[in-house]
Amino acid sequence: MKKYLVKRLLQIIPVLFIISFVVFVLVYMAGDPVALMLPEDASESDREAMRAALGLTDPFYIQYFRFVGDLVQGNFGTSFRYNQAALPLVLERLPATFELAAASMVVATLMAVPLGIYSARKQNSLVDLFITGGSVLGKAMPNFWLGILLILLFAVNIQVFPVSGRGTIVHMILPAITLGTGIAAEMTRLIRSNMLEILNQDYIRTARSKGVSSNILVYKHAFRNSLIPVVTIMGLQVSHLVSGALITESVFSWPGIGLLLVQAVNGRDMAVVQAAVFVIALLVIVVNLITDLIYRLLDPRINYS
Amino acid sequence: MKKVNLFSIGLLILVLLVFAGCSNEGETAGGSEEESNTLVLAQAADIPSIDPQNSLSTTGDRVHRNMFSRLFMWDNELALQEDLVDTYEQIDDETWEFTLKKATFHDGETVTAEDVKFSLERVMTDETLKEYPYFKQLKEVNVKDEQTVQIITEGPMPTLLNLLAKSGSDILPKAYFEEVGIEGFQEKPIGSGPYQFAEWIRDDRVTLVPFEDYYGDKPKWEKVEVRAIPESSTRVGELLTGGVDIATDIPPNEWERVESESGVDLINGETTRVSLLMVRTTEGYVTSDPKVREAIDLAIDQQAIVDSVLQGTGVPVRTRVPEGVFGTNPDLTNTRVYDVERAKELLAEAGHPDGIDITFTSSRGRYPLDSEVAQLIVSMLSEAGINAELKLLESSAFLDEYNSKSNEELIMIGLADGLLDASYSLVHYTEERAAGQTDYKNGEVEGLFNAAGQNLDEEERTEQYQLIQEIVAEERPHIFLYQNAVNYGVSENITFTPRLDEAIRFDDLTKK
Repeated sequence: MKKYLVKRLLQIIPVLFIISFVVFVLVYMAGDPVALMLPEDASESDREAMRAALGLTDPFYIQYFRFVGDLVQGNFGTSFRYNQAALPLVLERLPATFELAAASMVVATLMAVPLGIYSARKQNSLVDLFITGGSVLGKAMPNFWLGILLILLFAVNIQVFPVSGRGTIVHMILPAITLGTGIAAEMTRLIRSNMLEILNQDYIRTARSKGVSSNILVYKHAFRNSLIPVVTIMGLQVSHLVSGALITESVFSWPGIGLLLVQAVNGRDMAVVQAAVFVIALLVIVVNLITDLIYRLLDPRINYS
Repeated sequence: MKKVNLFSIGLLILVLLVFAGCSNEGETAGGSEEESNTLVLAQAADIPSIDPQNSLSTTGDRVHRNMFSRLFMWDNELALQEDLVDTYEQIDDETWEFTLKKATFHDGETVTAEDVKFSLERVMTDETLKEYPYFKQLKEVNVKDEQTVQIITEGPMPTLLNLLAKSGSDILPKAYFEEVGIEGFQEKPIGSGPYQFAEWIRDDRVTLVPFEDYYGDKPKWEKVEVRAIPESSTRVGELLTGGVDIATDIPPNEWERVESESGVDLINGETTRVSLLMVRTTEGYVTSDPKVREAIDLAIDQQAIVDSVLQGTGVPVRTRVPEGVFGTNPDLTNTRVYDVERAKELLAEAGHPDGIDITFTSSRGRYPLDSEVAQLIVSMLSEAGINAELKLLESSAFLDEYNSKSNEELIMIGLADGLLDASYSLVHYTEERAAGQTDYKNGEVEGLFNAAGQNLDEEERTEQYQLIQEIVAEERPHIFLYQNAVNYGVSENITFTPRLDEAIRFDDLTKK
């Protein structure tokens, strides 16, 4: 177990390096940040002077090695846009994103668990068909579309929720539904199929023949056992949460890491893009690792050695 | 046990939802005393920096202008007025002397000549500041006494006062800045404007509160929030629900929605930005022939572009110096020379009776309706036998092509004037600046431009600039299209008049 953990932790380093190289190349290819910082009619010499001042005139490999050198020392460089260190800028956004992610997980669970169980119990009924169909729809629905639609319906036409921004718990509801729906869809399908599989197993049949009531059977015996894959999927959904957050946060002006990353890419703010991608990648890797460990705790049959 | 847990969680959520619903109702229906005196402005982007000398953007300026003071300012009529300056005199061609008003910074310190020297020298010398390129003509700033400062320019500089009213010439507190450094200053910026900094949550909002010891009129609003809402439909949604009082940059597809709703108005304002076609006059391009350039100009109906695609917003022009900017030539605004038949004749005279083939680059999504305008121009050109191959590029690819000057015959771009002075725009027609782009060369224009740049006689300088514009309109290194408009969605409770420089001074807005 310990050996496994050390191995997994060591794997993180090369993964992060590869990711940062890919991001560096992509941002470099995206073009000249100075072109976006000065107005269209700035003269070539003004642009050149600013490029030189920002260290952008050096060839690609020198820029990259300088970047890596700083990175090893934990320095992501300075944001062009905000003229301050990139990493703290990213870290101060994390609470907002965590808040949104947690809220959408709650929304997803609240939707998926009852729907999944219900549709498994009423397999092949009209309701089941509706729920399964609905989950395909929920998965396929783009976040920005759902977000804009929810704003239009529940903030503009029926003014129940605020349109955008972060503040009270009310501000969280529409973005959490937007981000949670896709995840709920996936979870619903998973819970349903797990439940179906378990409900057909021998020990359930035995329990049923013993006269255990249907509710106890479903909730106590079957549901608990169907939770193991759900934990995995929750862990895997972290990457979906992040990619969804990029869009959801933009639509709702939610000042999290997703909005920061989108704005940084628009402004070719290399240091912030790097820091944000780095932090997100690290988060995804660590959560996946934790998921693996929890999985093992939940199901002692799994052995990593 | 499990069941109880699930049940109680469900109940908790329900309670939260109900609670949430209530608190929200309180918020929207509130209208309490405090709420009513808060101004909320929504922009399409966050301010780039809280440092007024490193921002160089309309979004940043809307905050900075209310937080910092400059030596001069543009009033509502866009007339230049003294701001921090009490009196001033020009000592000789290159030396100006300014006496400051009695003003205090937000930390209670007095604004002195030392602060002016510090602020201007910072932007004159630090190449990494975005405002740096504009301040290169300032040579020295000298402190005469506590309230008097002298500015020496590199040669006569007729645009000095404009520059001192421009973004970047904001006066910063020397002692405070040196004590806390740029990091500390960005945490808590201090100026001497009517509003002082309260909070900046990045990509969310800047909050300002009034500064009671402001030397001018007492600030009107108890709180001002400048929010960043990049998604336009969300911005409009906030406007329609009363979440914001003013939303900037309403995109054309939302105009109808904003106009049709009660409680909000769509207000159009003019800007200094002029959309134009840059034309290669370089040897080897078909457009090196002035007759071909004239034919292109005559084939384009600017009025039709404004009326149809732009839905009446914008003004057809034949110059880059719109009305309201120093040195404008009124004969070239709101006019056109559209004549397809003459365009065909000109092409024939130039030896192209069967028409010509050219390449035309335009951005897509950089300026409002840019690709639609470009497509209309292509079809107008084809009427005259000019076959333009349209190259539509996304904003950053477009900028790369423009900056590397790799475009072919035509490129459409919108250029603004941050100085409100013709010199800013007309520098494009000097040989040095035109090289590699339009490759325009005209000795007379060169001479007039250089003379005007040193000319302290306003009337004569205006005439020189007007003459340049006439020559350019005739020789067409640029073919002008229209002066861009900007759209604001404004709550009916607010009186708002848009300004040519797109600035917003919070105290110019009033609650009805």
